[in-house]
Amino acid sequence: MSPADESVTEFERRARVVLEESVRRIDARTRSRLNQARHAALEASAARRRSWWRGFTLMPAAGAVAAAVLVVVVLWRHEPPGTPPLALDTQHAAVEDMDLLTDNDSIDLMEEWDGSFYEWAAAESDAGAENS
Amino acid sequence: MPEFATLASPYSMPAALHGDVDLTDPEEQTQSRALNQFLAGVELRAFKIAQAALRHEDDALDAVQDAMLQLARAYSHRPAEEWKPLFYRILENRIRDMQRRRTVRGRVMAWLPLHGNDDDEEFDPVAQAPSPEPQPARRLELDEAVGALEQALQKLPPRQRQAFLLRTLEGLDVAGTALAMGCSEGSVKTHYFRAVQALRVQLGEFYV
Repeated sequence: MSPADESVTEFERRARVVLEESVRRIDARTRSRLNQARHAALEASAARRRSWWRGFTLMPAAGAVAAAVLVVVVLWRHEPPGTPPLALDTQHAAVEDMDLLTDNDSIDLMEEWDGSFYEWAAAESDAGAENS
Repeated sequence: MPEFATLASPYSMPAALHGDVDLTDPEEQTQSRALNQFLAGVELRAFKIAQAALRHEDDALDAVQDAMLQLARAYSHRPAEEWKPLFYRILENRIRDMQRRRTVRGRVMAWLPLHGNDDDEEFDPVAQAPSPEPQPARRLELDEAVGALEQALQKLPPRQRQAFLLRTLEGLDVAGTALAMGCSEGSVKTHYFRAVQALRVQLGEFYV
């Protein structure tokens, strides 16, 4: 270390002593205000942890509510109100189709389709209504 | 059954109500205690650094308080060894904000008519009482040295003053000072070297 470096080191040492002395002379009022500021900061830190903890403890409840809402929405979309009759009709028609496919008489009836008979029956029905 | 028997016994109450800080948590206690110790350890020196930059006691107190709050709110979860450079970085930003605001305020006030000095306060002998002092002769010597150093520090450019105070008063190393000042380690060395040279020129007779 050169003499210049040594002198800088000595200067720093003495400057540090003087600066520490100036810190030691800080008056009681300022020390008190700094103390208050420190406690306010600690309280702010605790409040932050408190709010974080509150959010953490409410998370299961919030999750349960969200899950319940999700289930309701899914059910709502699959079975909207007013649609059950349509759904029942569809199921009923499906059952009828199955009957037609499995019933040999019905197939024979459809194969021997005689439109004139039905036209005659309808005309008879209309004439009966006019006579009465 | 007597009426007072219906009151809850303190022994039957939970340690911490829902939403409160659980003071029985050792980790929370340790962190809070560590933060308290850290802030108590730096608050006086931080105040001197802020005062040297702002040249106003109340502004310096406000800057230190803001820095404490910011550190506690945003960085208290960080490792304790990072707190010091972070704290001084926050403090430096607050000092710069205040200096900028003061410049703007000064420009506005220059346009206004004469105004009274709002900073005048009644003298409070108890509040102004200094800490216990050394012997009179030594005290006089230190008075001169402190006054001369504070005057010399005022004449330094802000970055040099900051580097000198963080290194000499706070005892930060070059890396920590660089982090606190938001510059490279090379810049810290340059600022610090120039600060020491300038102070030696001004204070030679007091310090040699």
